[in-house]
Amino acid sequence: MSGGKKSRENTFWQLWGAPIVLALLTTFGLTAALLGTGAWHWSAWTALLVPVAVCAHYSLRDTSRG
Amino acid sequence: MSTAKTIRNWYLVHKWTSLICTIFLLLLCITGLPLIFGEEIDEWQHPPLAELPADTPHLSLDRLVEESRRRFPGEYVRFAGFDEHEPTAYVTLGPSIDADPELNHFLKYDLRTGEVVEQTPPGDPLTFMGLMFRLHVDLFAGLPGELFMGFMGLLFVIAIVSGVVVYGPFMRKLEFGTVRRERSARLKWLDLHNLLGIVTLVWALVIGITGVINDLSTPLFGLWRMTEVESLLTPYRDKPAPQHFSSVQAAVDKAGAALPEMEVISVTFPDKRFGSPHHYVVWTQGKTPLTSQLRTPVLIDVESGDITAIAQLPWYLRALELSRPLHFGDYAGLPLKLLWALLDVITMVVLGSGLYLWLKRRSTMEARIEKLARFEAGATPPLEIAS
Repeated sequence: MSGGKKSRENTFWQLWGAPIVLALLTTFGLTAALLGTGAWHWSAWTALLVPVAVCAHYSLRDTSRG
Repeated sequence: MSTAKTIRNWYLVHKWTSLICTIFLLLLCITGLPLIFGEEIDEWQHPPLAELPADTPHLSLDRLVEESRRRFPGEYVRFAGFDEHEPTAYVTLGPSIDADPELNHFLKYDLRTGEVVEQTPPGDPLTFMGLMFRLHVDLFAGLPGELFMGFMGLLFVIAIVSGVVVYGPFMRKLEFGTVRRERSARLKWLDLHNLLGIVTLVWALVIGITGVINDLSTPLFGLWRMTEVESLLTPYRDKPAPQHFSSVQAAVDKAGAALPEMEVISVTFPDKRFGSPHHYVVWTQGKTPLTSQLRTPVLIDVESGDITAIAQLPWYLRALELSRPLHFGDYAGLPLKLLWALLDVITMVVLGSGLYLWLKRRSTMEARIEKLARFEAGATPPLEIAS
């Protein structure tokens, strides 16, 4: 699976779904860390790790096998 | 305005705002990286405090202030404060009551033994972290530097917003996360720029906006000082400068007793610019994670030792207070700082790749935008928008 170009245009959710979910996760993470400790911190760290992991996954994966 | 024109305009906004701010943003990312870990670096540079029973009584702040004055006779004590994490207190002195704050220096004491555990020499010699801080905050140019960096931050925010707008047309037919590596280096970096930019969008936006607000801290505090503090000080307008100072520890205790849900963090000694010439300004903060970011100042008459007022900070200083943790990333332990550092590095890649794309193929990019714009406007679909 290499991603890449499709013959059809993306629908709104295909285009913006992932960015919106990541935006919500980031917003939650930044806020949760401010509101509490313990479980709040853990959920904040987890939420903020998602965008970092997504960056690493898509930018480092090998797509040469196509 | 037609869709094609709109896209072209947004792209131009993205290009120009980015071009102007990118070099400064790269500097901010580089200098910000060690600043994230300021506390850890500080701990690592200084030996840990002596192990003493947890209930060892603390010395009075008066003793530490007196000791500081004895060490630097003729100097003026400007601030004193407590550390949140360890039993230490600092006392900041300057050459005179109205000297340039850059000439301030501090002594840090172990509150249990009175031993000096850290001090900066007078005269502002530059440390590595001091250099990082100045390059990050004001480029050694004081208030104009802060405002300039704030303006760069504003351009960064506009670049992010316009970047999101042009992300749509670019990704019209591409699956999320596509990185086309096989074709050309430029195409690969374009895809990476789009991917990393959209994924870190909210974080970068928050860092940008809170950075701008932090850069406005001097004028915002000045505004509060000139309006609300000034009106609290009306009865003192014609009074001569205080002749003697009452106990600062008593002032701290009084403020703490008046606000039992708060804890005292610092005291601004009588000062025309940052506080009141007739008061100790005792700064308190809440004890929960959120309220510990929000401070309440208590003005205590420096001669009588009585409370003059418990001030409420205006909304713009509340916004500034919340902007601090959200910019520094220091509000949820080391894991949050590490995430901050990773997101900072990713932002550097977004900035660097943006610069590379502009340098590498200016004309190609403009042709691509032209095609996308025409396509958006309903003209014939482009045969190849990718190359």
